[in-house]
Formats: sequence, structure tokens, C-alpha cells
Amino acid sequence: MHELSMAQAIVDTVLDAAKKNDAQEILEVTVEVGKLTMLNPEQLKFLMDIITEDTLLENAELIIEEIAVEIKCSSCDFKGKASTEGSDHYLTIVKCPECGERNVEITKGRECNVKNIRIEKVDEDA
Amino acid sequence: MHKIADVEIQHDIMVANRKLARQNQRIMDQKEVFSVDVLGAIGSGKTSLIEKLIDHMDQKIGVIAGDVISKYDAGRFESHNVPVVGLNTGKECHLDAHLVEHALHDLPLEEIDLLFIENVGNLICPVDFDLGSHLRMVVISVSEGDDTVEKHPLIFQDADLVVINKVDIADAVGASVEKMVDDVKQLNPDVQVILSSLKLGKGLDEIITAIESYIGKK
Repeated sequence: MHELSMAQAIVDTVLDAAKKNDAQEILEVTVEVGKLTMLNPEQLKFLMDIITEDTLLENAELIIEEIAVEIKCSSCDFKGKASTEGSDHYLTIVKCPECGERNVEITKGRECNVKNIRIEKVDEDA
Repeated sequence: MHKIADVEIQHDIMVANRKLARQNQRIMDQKEVFSVDVLGAIGSGKTSLIEKLIDHMDQKIGVIAGDVISKYDAGRFESHNVPVVGLNTGKECHLDAHLVEHALHDLPLEEIDLLFIENVGNLICPVDFDLGSHLRMVVISVSEGDDTVEKHPLIFQDADLVVINKVDIADAVGASVEKMVDDVKQLNPDVQVILSSLKLGKGLDEIITAIESYIGKK
């Protein structure tokens, strides 16, 4: 539901990096989205398509990588990948895979990380 | 000639909000203000609850009234003679730490002990945006249906205090309060769940005691 503002933040971040690196075109953008964010990857893609018209990002491919949930268990001190019930992105219930405890500290899975971009630029060495 | 280059960015958009949230909490700590983020669905009773807390708590209270159009709720709080800042989110479905930071600058924090931040009525989007508050209180009501907790697990997993309001009309709307409590406990076993009917004054004392105990623990 807040995909538009997140899409805009991603676009701003990417365009800034592209400018700093003298990109003539952006070919690919990879964004990591945590499984616990309330972001729908399909909506994010749709909105990115719309707001990147007439920018360096216009023809870029958006790759969204889902980040699994990692936890630190408050009960048994387990650290690592959580057990997540419910395959639906929004109905994830986070539990410790060792002891089943739900009182856990989430250490991964809430990111919306602009990971990297692939750009085309002038080859000054050529 | 052109060449293809891979550029590492590693910029987490969520981190920017979390950093601002921590900064907000530092500002409030310096001014000895305890803050409560009041979350919940549209019409669950967030505004009514804050109004009653203003009237019944022995604290110097201030309010940040967040809404798509905030002037209606802000006006209600102003009539209780407390400092209020309205935050319009416009098309956005949640408050974020940046908006709250602006509101903190506009409030007389020296004159406030307890700050309520009323979030936009929404059980989904505010989950992603920490505001820097000391306590997250989620207010729901039976009229939203007794499956509202299981449909929105994350907000309950994150909550410090859960209020189930309008329990007096549970039978009329065919909602099982027991199911709602069980669903919250499934998600967050240690969280305190308070049943209330703000219209009848039920549960208000318990909510006040719970908030005060958190202030004491800080």
C-alpha cells in the first residue's frame, strides 16, 4: 500500500548512483525485499514501470530478490533462519525453528535494499 | 565505445527511517517525554481512547494526530486543551519517522510528559515504519470482525499492548472476543491484551495502569 513512495525512493537512489557513475543507460536494477516488509513485489514492479518513464531507468529490468526471515530466539538463543508459517507474503508468522517460540527478535527480513545496478557507460579506455 | 559496468549500491531504504526513528527517540529522551504510537484500524476507537486518556491520566499530555486529513482528529484533541500537532499524510497510508521528526519540532516538549502519536487507521503499512516511540499500542474493535488479528499478524507480533474495543457489542456483530484474544496470544504470547468498551468506560483504568507501568519501567 505504500509501494509508490518506496518505488520513488528506489528510483531516486538508483538515479543518484547512475549519475555519480556517468551511466548513459541503466540496464538492470536489483532490489532485495525482506519477506516481512509490507511490500507487494508485483505492485512495486508495476509502479516502477510507470514512474521511470523518460528516465535513464526506462528500459531497465527490475530484479526483486526476496530476503528470508532470520531471527534471534529470546527463549533458546537460536540464531538463523526462522520458521515461517504461511506461504503468503503477508501472513507470515515467525517462529523459532528449534523451540517453536514466537517471542523472537527479527534480525533479517525487513529490508528494502537497493543492492546493485548494471549500467552502460562510455569506455574511456577504448 | 560503451562498456557495461556493475555498480554496488547497498542502500536500504528502510534503514533511513529506522535511523530517523532512533533520532526521534533520543530527542524525546532528552526532553523526558514518553511516547506511545497508537495504531489500529479505521474506526477502532484510537481517537476516542486518546481523548479519554487525556481526561483521566495524571500526566502532561501532548498529541501528534496523524491522518490522511488530520484536522478533524486534531480539532477533537485541541478541545481537551492539550498541545496538538496534526500531520497530514495525504495519499500515504502511514506515518513515518521523518514526519514525526517535524512534529516534534513543533511541539512544546518541555511541557509534555506523555506524547500520544495517533497513526493512520491501518493495520498493514505502519508495521514497516518505526517512529521512535517507546510503546506500540494496537487498538482494534470487535466490529472489524473476529478474524482481524489472524489477517494482520505482523502488527500484533510487534505490539507492546493490545486493546480490543467495543466488546459490549460483540454479540450484536457476531464476534468472538475469546478468539481475538487467543489469536493475539498465539502471535505474541507475552503481550498484555485489554478488553474495553470506551463508550461504557470499561477497561480504561487497566489501559492507564498498563501505560503507567511502561513509563515506570523506562
